[in-house]
Amino acid sequence: MSASNKITPEELDHIAKLARIDLTDDEKKTYLPQLESVLEYLDILNKADTTNIKPTFRVNEQKNVFHQDEVKESFSQKDALSTATKTKDGYFEVVATIKK
Amino acid sequence: MDLQNLSFKQTRHLLLDKQITAVEIANYFLARTKEIDPKIKAFITITEKEIIDQAQRIDEKIKKGEKLGKLAGAVMAVKDIFLTKGIQTTSSSQVLNGYIPQYSSSIYQKLIDEDVMIIGKTNTDPFAFGASTENSGYFTTKNPWNIEMVPGGSSGGSAAAVAADLCHFALGTDTGGSIRQPSSLCGVSGIKTTYGRNSRYGITAMASSFDCPGVFARDVEDIALVTEITAGLDPHDATTCDIEVPKYTENLKKINIKGLKIGLPKEYFTGSIDPEVKEKVLNAAKEFEKQGAILVDISLPSTDLGIAVYYILIPSEISANMARYDGIRFGQSVDGAPDIVSYYMQTRGKYMEPEVKRRILIGTYALSSGYYDAYYTKAAKVRTLIKNEFVEAFKNVDVILAPCSPTPAWKIGAKVNDPLQMYLADVYTVCINVAGVPGLALPCGFNNQNLPIGFQLIGNFFEEEKLFSLGHQFQQFTDYHQKRPQL
Repeated sequence: MSASNKITPEELDHIAKLARIDLTDDEKKTYLPQLESVLEYLDILNKADTTNIKPTFRVNEQKNVFHQDEVKESFSQKDALSTATKTKDGYFEVVATIKK
Repeated sequence: MDLQNLSFKQTRHLLLDKQITAVEIANYFLARTKEIDPKIKAFITITEKEIIDQAQRIDEKIKKGEKLGKLAGAVMAVKDIFLTKGIQTTSSSQVLNGYIPQYSSSIYQKLIDEDVMIIGKTNTDPFAFGASTENSGYFTTKNPWNIEMVPGGSSGGSAAAVAADLCHFALGTDTGGSIRQPSSLCGVSGIKTTYGRNSRYGITAMASSFDCPGVFARDVEDIALVTEITAGLDPHDATTCDIEVPKYTENLKKINIKGLKIGLPKEYFTGSIDPEVKEKVLNAAKEFEKQGAILVDISLPSTDLGIAVYYILIPSEISANMARYDGIRFGQSVDGAPDIVSYYMQTRGKYMEPEVKRRILIGTYALSSGYYDAYYTKAAKVRTLIKNEFVEAFKNVDVILAPCSPTPAWKIGAKVNDPLQMYLADVYTVCINVAGVPGLALPCGFNNQNLPIGFQLIGNFFEEEKLFSLGHQFQQFTDYHQKRPQL
Protein backbone atom coordinates (compact mmCIF):
# COMPACT_ATOMS: atom_id res chain seq x y z
CA MET A 1 0.00 0.00 0.00
CA SER A 2 1.06 3.60 0.50
CA ALA A 3 2.28 3.99 -3.08
CA SER A 4 -0.53 6.50 -3.16
CA ASN A 5 -3.70 6.70 -1.15
CA LYS A 6 -5.26 8.95 -3.71
CA ILE A 7 -8.08 7.21 -5.47
CA THR A 8 -8.81 8.86 -8.77
CA PRO A 9 -12.44 9.33 -9.81
CA GLU A 10 -11.75 6.82 -12.63
CA GLU A 11 -10.50 4.29 -10.09
CA LEU A 12 -13.63 4.74 -7.99
CA ASP A 13 -15.75 4.17 -11.10
CA HIS A 14 -13.79 1.02 -11.84
CA ILE A 15 -14.16 -0.32 -8.29
CA ALA A 16 -17.88 0.50 -8.27
CA LYS A 17 -18.30 -1.36 -11.54
CA LEU A 18 -16.43 -4.39 -10.19
CA ALA A 19 -18.69 -4.25 -7.12
CA ARG A 20 -21.79 -3.87 -9.33
CA ILE A 21 -22.99 -0.71 -7.60
CA ASP A 22 -24.31 2.35 -9.44
CA LEU A 23 -23.10 5.49 -7.69
CA THR A 24 -24.65 8.92 -8.18
CA ASP A 25 -22.36 11.92 -8.67
CA ASP A 26 -23.20 13.09 -5.15
CA GLU A 27 -22.26 9.71 -3.73
CA LYS A 28 -18.95 9.75 -5.56
CA LYS A 29 -18.19 13.19 -4.15
CA THR A 30 -18.94 11.97 -0.63
CA TYR A 31 -17.24 8.59 -0.79
CA LEU A 32 -14.00 9.60 -2.50
CA PRO A 33 -12.55 11.62 0.41
CA GLN A 34 -14.00 9.18 2.96
CA LEU A 35 -12.34 6.21 1.28
CA GLU A 36 -9.10 8.12 1.00
CA SER A 37 -9.04 8.95 4.68
CA VAL A 38 -9.71 5.29 5.55
CA LEU A 39 -6.96 4.09 3.19
CA GLU A 40 -4.57 6.65 4.61
CA TYR A 41 -5.26 5.34 8.09
CA LEU A 42 -4.56 1.77 6.93
CA ASP A 43 -0.94 2.77 6.22
CA ILE A 44 -0.32 2.18 9.92
CA LEU A 45 0.17 -1.50 9.02
CA ASN A 46 3.44 -0.62 7.28
CA LYS A 47 5.07 -0.27 10.67
CA ALA A 48 4.46 -3.95 11.47
CA ASP A 49 7.34 -6.27 10.65
CA THR A 50 5.74 -9.31 9.06
CA THR A 51 8.90 -10.92 7.70
CA ASN A 52 8.46 -14.72 7.87
CA ILE A 53 4.96 -14.37 9.37
CA LYS A 54 2.29 -16.54 7.82
CA PRO A 55 -1.13 -15.03 7.14
CA THR A 56 -4.11 -16.14 9.24
CA PHE A 57 -7.28 -16.78 7.25
CA ARG A 58 -9.14 -18.68 9.96
CA VAL A 59 -8.60 -18.58 13.70
CA ASN A 60 -9.36 -22.16 14.58
CA GLU A 61 -7.18 -24.93 13.29
CA GLN A 62 -9.92 -26.81 11.47
CA LYS A 63 -9.15 -28.01 8.00
CA ASN A 64 -11.37 -30.08 5.75
CA VAL A 65 -14.75 -30.92 7.21
CA PHE A 66 -16.47 -33.81 5.49
CA HIS A 67 -20.02 -35.06 5.60
CA GLN A 68 -21.81 -38.04 4.14
CA ASP A 69 -23.17 -37.53 0.64
CA GLU A 70 -26.76 -38.28 1.54
CA VAL A 71 -29.97 -37.16 -0.09
CA LYS A 72 -31.92 -35.08 2.41
CA GLU A 73 -35.19 -33.23 2.41
CA SER A 74 -34.91 -29.79 0.85
CA PHE A 75 -37.17 -26.84 0.06
CA SER A 76 -40.14 -27.48 -2.19
CA GLN A 77 -40.04 -25.60 -5.48
CA LYS A 78 -42.77 -23.33 -4.16
CA ASP A 79 -40.81 -22.47 -1.01
CA ALA A 80 -37.56 -21.96 -2.90
CA LEU A 81 -39.23 -19.45 -5.18
CA SER A 82 -41.26 -17.72 -2.47
CA THR A 83 -38.76 -14.89 -2.00
CA ALA A 84 -37.99 -14.36 -5.70
CA THR A 85 -38.64 -11.04 -7.43
CA LYS A 86 -40.05 -12.69 -10.54
CA THR A 87 -40.78 -16.28 -11.44
CA LYS A 88 -41.92 -17.99 -14.62
CA ASP A 89 -42.94 -21.63 -15.06
CA GLY A 90 -41.33 -22.56 -11.75
CA TYR A 91 -38.02 -20.80 -12.45
CA PHE A 92 -36.41 -17.59 -11.23
CA GLU A 93 -36.89 -15.05 -14.00
CA VAL A 94 -34.11 -12.59 -14.83
CA VAL A 95 -33.61 -9.93 -17.47
CA ALA A 96 -31.78 -11.04 -20.59
CA THR A 97 -28.19 -12.07 -19.97
CA ILE A 98 -27.34 -12.58 -23.64
CA LYS A 99 -28.02 -10.08 -26.39
CA LYS A 100 -30.18 -11.32 -29.24
CA MET B 1 -48.21 -8.61 38.56
CA ASP B 2 -45.18 -6.44 37.78
CA LEU B 3 -42.62 -8.62 36.06
CA GLN B 4 -40.20 -5.82 35.25
CA ASN B 5 -37.60 -6.43 37.90
CA LEU B 6 -37.73 -10.20 37.75
CA SER B 7 -35.00 -12.26 36.13
CA PHE B 8 -35.95 -15.10 33.82
CA LYS B 9 -35.23 -17.55 36.65
CA GLN B 10 -37.71 -15.79 38.98
CA THR B 11 -40.32 -15.51 36.23
CA ARG B 12 -39.97 -19.20 35.47
CA HIS B 13 -40.63 -20.09 39.12
CA LEU B 14 -43.91 -18.17 38.97
CA LEU B 15 -44.84 -20.03 35.79
CA LEU B 16 -44.01 -23.45 37.22
CA ASP B 17 -45.87 -22.61 40.46
CA LYS B 18 -48.89 -21.70 38.32
CA GLN B 19 -49.00 -18.21 39.80
CA ILE B 20 -48.86 -16.84 36.28
CA THR B 21 -49.49 -18.19 32.76
CA ALA B 22 -47.24 -17.91 29.72
CA VAL B 23 -49.93 -15.83 28.01
CA GLU B 24 -49.87 -13.39 30.94
CA ILE B 25 -46.09 -13.12 30.67
CA ALA B 26 -46.36 -12.53 26.90
CA ASN B 27 -49.07 -9.91 27.37
CA TYR B 28 -47.07 -8.13 30.05
CA PHE B 29 -44.03 -7.80 27.75
CA LEU B 30 -46.17 -6.84 24.75
CA ALA B 31 -47.88 -4.08 26.70
CA ARG B 32 -44.58 -2.82 28.07
CA THR B 33 -42.94 -2.89 24.65
CA LYS B 34 -45.83 -1.00 23.04
CA GLU B 35 -45.53 1.65 25.72
CA ILE B 36 -41.74 2.00 25.87
CA ASP B 37 -40.51 1.13 22.39
CA PRO B 38 -41.85 4.26 20.65
CA LYS B 39 -39.36 6.18 22.85
CA ILE B 40 -36.29 4.05 22.17
CA LYS B 41 -37.14 2.32 18.88
CA ALA B 42 -35.36 -0.94 19.60
CA PHE B 43 -37.63 -3.03 17.37
CA ILE B 44 -38.14 -3.19 13.62
CA THR B 45 -40.84 -5.84 14.00
CA ILE B 46 -42.90 -6.71 17.07
CA THR B 47 -44.04 -10.33 16.75
CA GLU B 48 -47.35 -10.09 18.55
CA LYS B 49 -48.93 -13.12 16.89
CA GLU B 50 -45.90 -15.35 17.34
CA ILE B 51 -45.41 -14.57 21.04
CA ILE B 52 -49.07 -15.23 21.85
CA ASP B 53 -49.12 -18.46 19.78
CA GLN B 54 -46.00 -19.70 21.54
CA ALA B 55 -47.39 -18.70 24.96
CA GLN B 56 -50.60 -20.63 24.28
CA ARG B 57 -48.58 -23.70 23.29
CA ILE B 58 -46.65 -23.48 26.57
CA ASP B 59 -49.81 -23.07 28.65
CA GLU B 60 -51.28 -26.07 26.83
CA LYS B 61 -48.21 -28.13 27.69
CA ILE B 62 -48.51 -27.11 31.35
CA LYS B 63 -52.20 -28.01 31.35
CA LYS B 64 -51.46 -31.44 29.92
CA GLY B 65 -48.51 -31.98 32.23
CA GLU B 66 -46.07 -32.26 29.32
CA LYS B 67 -42.35 -31.64 29.72
CA LEU B 68 -41.43 -27.99 29.35
CA GLY B 69 -38.39 -26.66 27.54
CA LYS B 70 -35.58 -25.02 29.53
CA LEU B 71 -36.68 -21.58 28.37
CA ALA B 72 -40.43 -21.82 28.98
CA GLY B 73 -41.39 -18.45 30.44
CA ALA B 74 -38.51 -16.56 28.83
CA VAL B 75 -39.12 -13.68 26.43
CA MET B 76 -36.45 -13.08 23.80
CA ALA B 77 -35.67 -10.31 21.30
CA VAL B 78 -33.71 -11.21 18.18
CA LYS B 79 -31.36 -9.03 16.16
CA ASP B 80 -32.90 -8.67 12.72
CA ILE B 81 -30.03 -10.41 10.96
CA PHE B 82 -31.07 -13.83 12.33
CA LEU B 83 -33.35 -15.56 9.83
CA THR B 84 -36.69 -16.39 11.43
CA LYS B 85 -38.95 -18.62 9.36
CA GLY B 86 -42.17 -16.82 8.44
CA ILE B 87 -41.13 -13.60 10.20
CA GLN B 88 -39.77 -10.65 8.21
CA THR B 89 -35.97 -10.41 8.40
CA THR B 90 -34.63 -7.11 7.09
CA SER B 91 -31.04 -7.04 8.42
CA SER B 92 -32.01 -3.37 8.95
CA SER B 93 -31.38 -2.79 5.27
CA GLN B 94 -33.84 -1.68 2.61
CA VAL B 95 -32.30 -4.44 0.49
CA LEU B 96 -34.28 -7.01 2.49
CA ASN B 97 -37.40 -4.97 3.18
CA GLY B 98 -40.28 -7.45 3.14
CA TYR B 99 -38.07 -10.55 3.03
CA ILE B 100 -39.77 -13.52 4.73
CA PRO B 101 -37.23 -16.34 5.09
CA GLN B 102 -38.19 -19.96 4.42
CA TYR B 103 -35.96 -21.29 7.20
CA SER B 104 -34.56 -20.25 10.57
CA SER B 105 -31.04 -19.73 11.84
CA SER B 106 -29.76 -22.70 13.84
CA ILE B 107 -29.40 -21.01 17.22
CA TYR B 108 -32.76 -19.26 17.01
CA GLN B 109 -34.35 -22.64 16.27
CA LYS B 110 -32.55 -24.28 19.22
CA LEU B 111 -34.01 -21.65 21.54
CA ILE B 112 -37.52 -21.94 20.07
CA ASP B 113 -37.26 -25.70 20.60
CA GLU B 114 -36.69 -24.93 24.30
CA ASP B 115 -39.99 -23.00 24.42
CA VAL B 116 -38.65 -19.44 24.35
CA MET B 117 -41.13 -16.75 23.28
CA ILE B 118 -40.04 -14.19 20.67
CA ILE B 119 -41.20 -10.61 21.21
CA GLY B 120 -39.65 -9.13 18.09
CA LYS B 121 -36.78 -8.40 15.75
CA THR B 122 -34.38 -5.65 16.78
CA ASN B 123 -32.75 -2.82 14.92
CA THR B 124 -29.08 -2.89 13.98
CA ASP B 125 -26.78 -1.16 11.56
CA PRO B 126 -27.56 -2.63 8.12
CA PHE B 127 -26.15 -6.17 7.90
CA ALA B 128 -24.44 -5.27 11.23
CA PHE B 129 -22.13 -2.69 9.57
CA GLY B 130 -21.68 -0.02 12.21
CA ALA B 131 -21.19 0.93 15.83
CA SER B 132 -24.31 2.96 16.70
CA THR B 133 -27.40 1.74 14.72
CA GLU B 134 -27.30 5.09 12.89
CA ASN B 135 -26.51 3.32 9.60
CA SER B 136 -29.80 1.37 9.79
CA GLY B 137 -31.94 1.70 6.68
CA TYR B 138 -34.97 2.30 8.94
CA PHE B 139 -34.24 4.45 12.01
CA THR B 140 -31.77 4.99 14.83
CA THR B 141 -32.30 3.24 18.15
CA LYS B 142 -31.95 5.44 21.22
CA ASN B 143 -30.05 4.70 24.38
CA PRO B 144 -32.57 3.94 27.18
CA TRP B 145 -30.35 5.83 29.66
CA ASN B 146 -30.54 9.02 27.61
CA ILE B 147 -32.53 9.11 24.42
CA GLU B 148 -30.26 11.74 22.88
CA MET B 149 -27.45 9.21 22.88
CA VAL B 150 -26.66 6.22 20.67
CA PRO B 151 -27.12 2.72 22.14
CA GLY B 152 -23.91 1.55 20.47
CA GLY B 153 -23.90 -1.05 17.76
CA SER B 154 -24.29 -2.80 15.67
CA SER B 155 -26.60 -4.86 17.96
CA GLY B 156 -27.93 -1.63 19.52
CA GLY B 157 -31.59 -2.64 19.32
CA SER B 158 -30.95 -5.85 21.26
CA ALA B 159 -28.90 -4.06 23.93
CA ALA B 160 -31.53 -1.33 24.31
CA ALA B 161 -34.35 -3.91 24.53
CA VAL B 162 -32.59 -5.66 27.43
CA ALA B 163 -31.69 -2.37 29.15
CA ALA B 164 -35.33 -1.23 28.93
CA ASP B 165 -36.64 -4.59 30.24
CA LEU B 166 -38.56 -5.36 27.04
CA CYS B 167 -37.34 -8.97 27.15
CA HIS B 168 -35.33 -11.30 29.38
CA PHE B 169 -32.52 -11.66 26.89
CA ALA B 170 -31.69 -10.77 23.30
CA LEU B 171 -29.65 -12.34 20.51
CA GLY B 172 -26.91 -10.36 18.82
CA THR B 173 -23.75 -10.85 16.82
CA ASP B 174 -20.24 -9.60 17.49
CA THR B 175 -17.96 -9.30 14.46
CA GLY B 176 -15.82 -6.44 15.80
CA GLY B 177 -17.49 -5.54 19.09
CA SER B 178 -21.18 -5.45 18.16
CA ILE B 179 -22.28 -7.20 21.38
CA ARG B 180 -19.70 -5.95 23.88
CA GLN B 181 -19.71 -2.28 22.88
CA PRO B 182 -23.53 -1.80 22.99
CA SER B 183 -23.58 -3.84 26.24
CA SER B 184 -21.16 -1.33 27.69
CA LEU B 185 -23.06 1.71 26.36
CA CYS B 186 -26.45 0.39 27.56
CA GLY B 187 -25.36 -1.02 30.94
CA VAL B 188 -26.14 -4.68 30.25
CA SER B 189 -24.08 -7.88 29.99
CA GLY B 190 -23.20 -9.67 26.75
CA ILE B 191 -21.03 -12.52 25.50
CA LYS B 192 -18.96 -12.69 22.36
CA THR B 193 -18.23 -16.39 22.19
CA THR B 194 -15.12 -18.02 20.78
CA TYR B 195 -15.24 -18.12 16.98
CA GLY B 196 -16.85 -21.46 16.10
CA ARG B 197 -18.68 -21.92 19.42
CA ASN B 198 -22.09 -20.68 18.19
CA SER B 199 -23.33 -21.56 14.71
CA ARG B 200 -23.49 -18.80 12.10
CA TYR B 201 -25.98 -20.74 9.95
CA GLY B 202 -28.99 -18.69 8.93
CA ILE B 203 -27.55 -15.34 9.99
CA THR B 204 -26.94 -12.87 7.17
CA ALA B 205 -23.18 -13.02 6.75
CA MET B 206 -20.96 -10.03 7.37
CA ALA B 207 -17.39 -11.34 7.61
CA SER B 208 -17.43 -15.11 7.76
CA SER B 209 -14.09 -15.59 9.50
CA PHE B 210 -15.09 -13.14 12.26
CA ASP B 211 -18.87 -13.34 12.87
CA CYS B 212 -19.76 -14.57 16.38
CA PRO B 213 -23.39 -14.85 17.48
CA GLY B 214 -24.06 -14.33 21.16
CA VAL B 215 -26.52 -13.07 23.74
CA PHE B 216 -27.32 -10.03 25.88
CA ALA B 217 -28.98 -10.23 29.30
CA ARG B 218 -28.94 -8.42 32.59
CA ASP B 219 -27.48 -11.34 34.57
CA VAL B 220 -24.58 -13.55 33.55
CA GLU B 221 -26.60 -16.50 34.84
CA ASP B 222 -29.15 -16.02 32.04
CA ILE B 223 -26.35 -15.62 29.47
CA ALA B 224 -24.80 -18.89 30.67
CA LEU B 225 -28.12 -20.69 30.36
CA VAL B 226 -28.78 -19.47 26.81
CA THR B 227 -25.21 -20.18 25.67
CA GLU B 228 -25.43 -23.69 27.11
CA ILE B 229 -28.31 -24.25 24.66
CA THR B 230 -26.97 -22.42 21.59
CA ALA B 231 -23.33 -23.58 21.64
CA GLY B 232 -21.98 -26.63 19.87
CA LEU B 233 -21.42 -28.37 16.58
CA ASP B 234 -23.81 -27.57 13.74
CA PRO B 235 -23.56 -29.63 10.55
CA HIS B 236 -24.82 -26.55 8.68
CA ASP B 237 -21.79 -24.48 9.75
CA ALA B 238 -18.49 -26.24 9.04
CA THR B 239 -16.59 -23.75 11.22
CA THR B 240 -18.38 -24.82 14.41
CA CYS B 241 -16.16 -26.98 16.59
CA ASP B 242 -16.76 -30.45 17.94
CA ILE B 243 -15.70 -29.48 21.45
CA GLU B 244 -17.92 -30.43 24.35
CA VAL B 245 -20.15 -27.65 25.69
CA PRO B 246 -19.69 -27.44 29.47
CA LYS B 247 -22.66 -27.12 31.82
CA TYR B 248 -22.08 -23.40 32.24
CA THR B 249 -24.99 -22.91 34.66
CA GLU B 250 -23.75 -25.61 37.03
CA ASN B 251 -20.24 -24.19 37.15
CA LEU B 252 -20.92 -20.53 37.91
CA LYS B 253 -18.99 -20.71 41.17
CA LYS B 254 -16.32 -23.04 39.85
CA ILE B 255 -13.44 -20.62 39.31
CA ASN B 256 -11.63 -19.59 42.45
CA ILE B 257 -10.87 -15.87 42.33
CA LYS B 258 -8.24 -16.22 45.03
CA GLY B 259 -4.87 -16.35 43.31
CA LEU B 260 -6.40 -15.82 39.86
CA LYS B 261 -4.09 -13.81 37.62
CA ILE B 262 -5.90 -11.00 35.80
CA GLY B 263 -3.94 -9.25 33.05
CA LEU B 264 -4.41 -5.52 32.48
CA PRO B 265 -3.08 -4.71 28.99
CA LYS B 266 -1.48 -1.28 29.12
CA GLU B 267 -2.49 -0.48 25.52
CA TYR B 268 -6.16 -0.54 26.59
CA PHE B 269 -5.73 2.11 29.25
CA THR B 270 -3.82 4.77 27.35
CA GLY B 271 -4.48 7.19 24.51
CA SER B 272 -8.00 8.36 23.85
CA ILE B 273 -9.65 6.62 26.81
CA ASP B 274 -12.14 8.75 28.75
CA PRO B 275 -10.83 9.28 32.32
CA GLU B 276 -14.11 8.17 33.92
CA VAL B 277 -14.16 4.98 31.82
CA LYS B 278 -10.59 4.25 32.88
CA GLU B 279 -11.39 4.84 36.54
CA LYS B 280 -14.51 2.63 36.58
CA VAL B 281 -12.85 -0.21 34.67
CA LEU B 282 -9.83 -0.14 37.00
CA ASN B 283 -12.26 -0.15 39.93
CA ALA B 284 -13.76 -3.36 38.54
CA ALA B 285 -10.26 -4.85 38.50
CA LYS B 286 -9.82 -3.75 42.13
CA GLU B 287 -13.08 -5.49 43.06
CA PHE B 288 -11.54 -8.74 41.84
CA GLU B 289 -8.32 -7.89 43.69
CA LYS B 290 -10.31 -7.50 46.93
CA GLN B 291 -11.55 -11.06 46.40
CA GLY B 292 -7.98 -12.29 46.15
CA ALA B 293 -7.15 -11.96 42.46
CA ILE B 294 -3.67 -10.85 41.43
CA LEU B 295 -3.55 -7.95 38.95
CA VAL B 296 -0.73 -8.26 36.43
CA ASP B 297 0.37 -5.51 34.01
CA ILE B 298 0.70 -6.99 30.54
CA SER B 299 1.29 -5.72 27.03
CA LEU B 300 -0.45 -6.56 23.75
CA PRO B 301 1.88 -4.46 21.58
CA SER B 302 0.04 -4.77 18.26
CA THR B 303 -3.25 -3.44 19.66
CA ASP B 304 -2.95 -0.18 17.71
CA LEU B 305 -2.92 -2.18 14.47
CA GLY B 306 -6.22 -3.91 15.20
CA ILE B 307 -8.51 -1.37 13.55
CA ALA B 308 -6.44 -1.35 10.36
CA VAL B 309 -6.35 -5.15 10.17
CA TYR B 310 -10.06 -5.25 10.84
CA TYR B 311 -11.02 -2.60 8.27
CA ILE B 312 -9.11 -4.42 5.56
CA LEU B 313 -10.16 -8.00 6.25
CA ILE B 314 -13.78 -7.21 7.18
CA PRO B 315 -14.65 -5.18 4.06
CA SER B 316 -12.88 -7.79 1.93
CA GLU B 317 -15.06 -10.56 3.33
CA ILE B 318 -18.08 -8.25 3.14
CA SER B 319 -17.51 -7.49 -0.53
CA ALA B 320 -17.60 -11.24 -1.24
CA ASN B 321 -20.57 -12.00 1.04
CA MET B 322 -22.69 -9.11 -0.25
CA ALA B 323 -22.43 -10.39 -3.82
CA ARG B 324 -25.45 -12.59 -3.07
CA TYR B 325 -27.76 -9.55 -3.02
CA ASP B 326 -28.47 -9.63 -6.72
CA GLY B 327 -32.19 -8.78 -6.58
CA ILE B 328 -33.13 -12.13 -8.11
CA ARG B 329 -33.57 -14.79 -5.45
CA PHE B 330 -34.55 -12.44 -2.62
CA GLY B 331 -34.59 -8.78 -1.74
CA GLN B 332 -35.74 -5.62 -3.42
CA SER B 333 -35.00 -4.96 -7.09
CA VAL B 334 -35.49 -2.34 -9.79
CA ASP B 335 -37.77 -2.52 -12.81
CA GLY B 336 -36.88 -1.85 -16.41
CA ALA B 337 -33.12 -2.46 -16.47
CA PRO B 338 -32.04 -3.21 -20.06
CA ASP B 339 -29.54 -5.98 -19.23
CA ILE B 340 -28.40 -8.06 -16.30
CA VAL B 341 -25.35 -6.00 -15.32
CA SER B 342 -27.42 -2.80 -15.25
CA TYR B 343 -30.02 -4.70 -13.22
CA TYR B 344 -27.42 -5.60 -10.58
CA MET B 345 -25.89 -2.13 -10.53
CA GLN B 346 -29.18 -0.26 -10.32
CA THR B 347 -30.66 -2.63 -7.73
CA ARG B 348 -27.62 -2.44 -5.46
CA GLY B 349 -27.20 1.29 -6.07
CA LYS B 350 -30.80 2.00 -5.15
CA TYR B 351 -31.31 -0.20 -2.09
CA MET B 352 -27.95 -0.51 -0.32
CA GLU B 353 -27.33 1.98 2.48
CA PRO B 354 -24.25 4.26 2.26
CA GLU B 355 -22.21 2.28 4.82
CA VAL B 356 -22.96 -0.95 2.96
CA LYS B 357 -21.67 0.61 -0.24
CA ARG B 358 -18.60 2.09 1.48
CA ARG B 359 -17.57 -1.26 2.92
CA ILE B 360 -18.10 -3.13 -0.32
CA LEU B 361 -16.03 -0.48 -2.14
CA ILE B 362 -13.18 -0.65 0.40
CA GLY B 363 -13.19 -4.45 0.22
CA THR B 364 -13.34 -4.54 -3.55
CA TYR B 365 -10.42 -2.11 -3.65
CA ALA B 366 -8.37 -4.12 -1.15
CA LEU B 367 -8.94 -7.33 -3.10
CA SER B 368 -8.46 -5.84 -6.54
CA SER B 369 -5.54 -6.56 -8.80
CA GLY B 370 -2.39 -4.74 -7.72
CA TYR B 371 -3.54 -4.10 -4.13
CA TYR B 372 -4.28 -7.62 -2.88
CA ASP B 373 -0.85 -8.31 -1.35
CA ALA B 374 -0.37 -4.81 0.01
CA TYR B 375 -3.71 -4.80 1.81
CA TYR B 376 -5.31 -8.22 2.24
CA THR B 377 -2.20 -10.39 2.66
CA LYS B 378 -0.47 -7.82 4.85
CA ALA B 379 -3.51 -7.54 7.12
CA ALA B 380 -3.81 -11.35 7.34
CA LYS B 381 -0.17 -11.50 8.47
CA VAL B 382 -0.68 -8.84 11.13
CA ARG B 383 -3.72 -10.87 12.20
CA THR B 384 -1.27 -13.66 13.03
CA LEU B 385 0.81 -11.26 15.16
CA ILE B 386 -2.27 -10.11 17.10
CA LYS B 387 -3.50 -13.65 17.67
CA ASN B 388 -0.05 -14.78 18.82
CA GLU B 389 0.11 -11.96 21.35
CA PHE B 390 -3.10 -13.22 22.98
CA VAL B 391 -1.80 -16.82 22.96
CA GLU B 392 1.41 -15.63 24.65
CA ALA B 393 -0.46 -13.47 27.17
CA PHE B 394 -2.56 -16.43 28.30
CA LYS B 395 0.61 -18.31 29.23
CA ASN B 396 1.10 -15.76 32.02
CA VAL B 397 -2.42 -14.74 33.05
CA ASP B 398 -5.74 -16.57 33.47
CA VAL B 399 -7.91 -13.84 32.04
CA ILE B 400 -7.56 -10.32 30.63
CA LEU B 401 -9.61 -7.35 31.83
CA ALA B 402 -10.11 -4.28 29.63
CA PRO B 403 -12.63 -1.57 28.73
CA CYS B 404 -15.15 -2.27 25.91
CA SER B 405 -15.30 1.26 24.56
CA PRO B 406 -13.03 4.29 25.04
CA THR B 407 -16.06 6.47 25.86
CA PRO B 408 -19.60 6.10 27.19
CA ALA B 409 -22.48 6.60 24.72
CA TRP B 410 -22.09 9.63 22.44
CA LYS B 411 -24.68 11.98 20.98
CA ILE B 412 -26.72 10.75 18.04
CA GLY B 413 -25.25 12.31 14.89
CA ALA B 414 -21.84 13.15 16.34
CA LYS B 415 -19.87 10.70 14.18
CA VAL B 416 -22.14 10.00 11.20
CA ASN B 417 -20.21 12.08 8.68
CA ASP B 418 -16.83 10.66 9.55
CA PRO B 419 -16.66 6.90 8.94
CA LEU B 420 -13.09 6.67 10.24
CA GLN B 421 -14.08 8.14 13.64
CA MET B 422 -16.94 5.64 13.78
CA TYR B 423 -14.51 2.81 12.99
CA LEU B 424 -12.18 3.93 15.78
CA ALA B 425 -15.02 3.44 18.29
CA ASP B 426 -14.22 -0.29 17.99
CA VAL B 427 -10.61 0.13 19.12
CA TYR B 428 -10.95 -1.96 22.32
CA THR B 429 -13.07 -4.74 20.87
CA VAL B 430 -11.75 -5.62 17.40
CA CYS B 431 -8.51 -7.36 18.42
CA ILE B 432 -10.51 -9.97 20.32
CA ASN B 433 -12.36 -10.77 17.06
CA VAL B 434 -9.14 -10.67 15.05
CA ALA B 435 -7.75 -13.31 17.43
CA GLY B 436 -11.02 -15.26 17.77
CA VAL B 437 -11.06 -15.52 21.58
CA PRO B 438 -14.16 -14.96 23.76
CA GLY B 439 -15.08 -11.77 25.65
CA LEU B 440 -17.76 -11.12 28.26
CA ALA B 441 -18.97 -7.53 28.71
CA LEU B 442 -20.22 -6.49 32.15
CA PRO B 443 -21.48 -3.18 33.54
CA CYS B 444 -19.20 -1.53 36.13
CA GLY B 445 -20.56 1.94 36.85
CA PHE B 446 -21.74 5.25 35.48
CA ASN B 447 -20.16 8.54 34.47
CA ASN B 448 -21.20 11.89 35.93
CA GLN B 449 -24.06 12.10 33.41
CA ASN B 450 -25.44 8.74 34.54
CA LEU B 451 -24.36 6.96 31.35
CA PRO B 452 -23.31 3.33 31.82
CA ILE B 453 -19.72 2.13 31.61
CA GLY B 454 -18.72 -1.47 31.01
CA PHE B 455 -15.66 -3.67 30.87
CA GLN B 456 -14.81 -7.00 29.31
CA LEU B 457 -13.22 -10.16 30.58
CA ILE B 458 -11.28 -11.84 27.78
CA GLY B 459 -10.50 -15.55 27.96
CA ASN B 460 -8.45 -18.01 25.96
CA PHE B 461 -10.12 -20.06 23.21
CA PHE B 462 -13.27 -21.89 24.43
CA GLU B 463 -12.96 -20.54 27.98
CA GLU B 464 -16.52 -19.19 28.16
CA GLU B 465 -17.04 -21.25 31.32
CA LYS B 466 -14.31 -19.31 33.12
CA LEU B 467 -15.72 -15.96 31.94
CA PHE B 468 -19.26 -16.85 33.04
CA SER B 469 -18.02 -17.99 36.44
CA LEU B 470 -16.02 -14.80 37.02
CA GLY B 471 -18.79 -12.60 35.63
CA HIS B 472 -21.39 -14.26 37.81
CA GLN B 473 -19.26 -13.86 40.92
CA PHE B 474 -18.61 -10.20 40.03
CA GLN B 475 -22.39 -9.73 39.93
CA GLN B 476 -22.63 -11.24 43.41
CA PHE B 477 -20.33 -8.63 44.96
CA THR B 478 -21.50 -5.69 42.82
CA ASP B 479 -24.97 -4.51 41.76
CA TYR B 480 -24.29 -2.39 38.65
CA HIS B 481 -26.17 -4.94 36.52
CA GLN B 482 -29.36 -4.34 38.50
CA LYS B 483 -29.52 -0.59 37.86
CA ARG B 484 -32.36 0.46 35.57
CA PRO B 485 -32.86 3.54 33.40
CA GLN B 486 -35.83 5.83 34.10
CA LEU B 487 -38.23 5.41 31.20
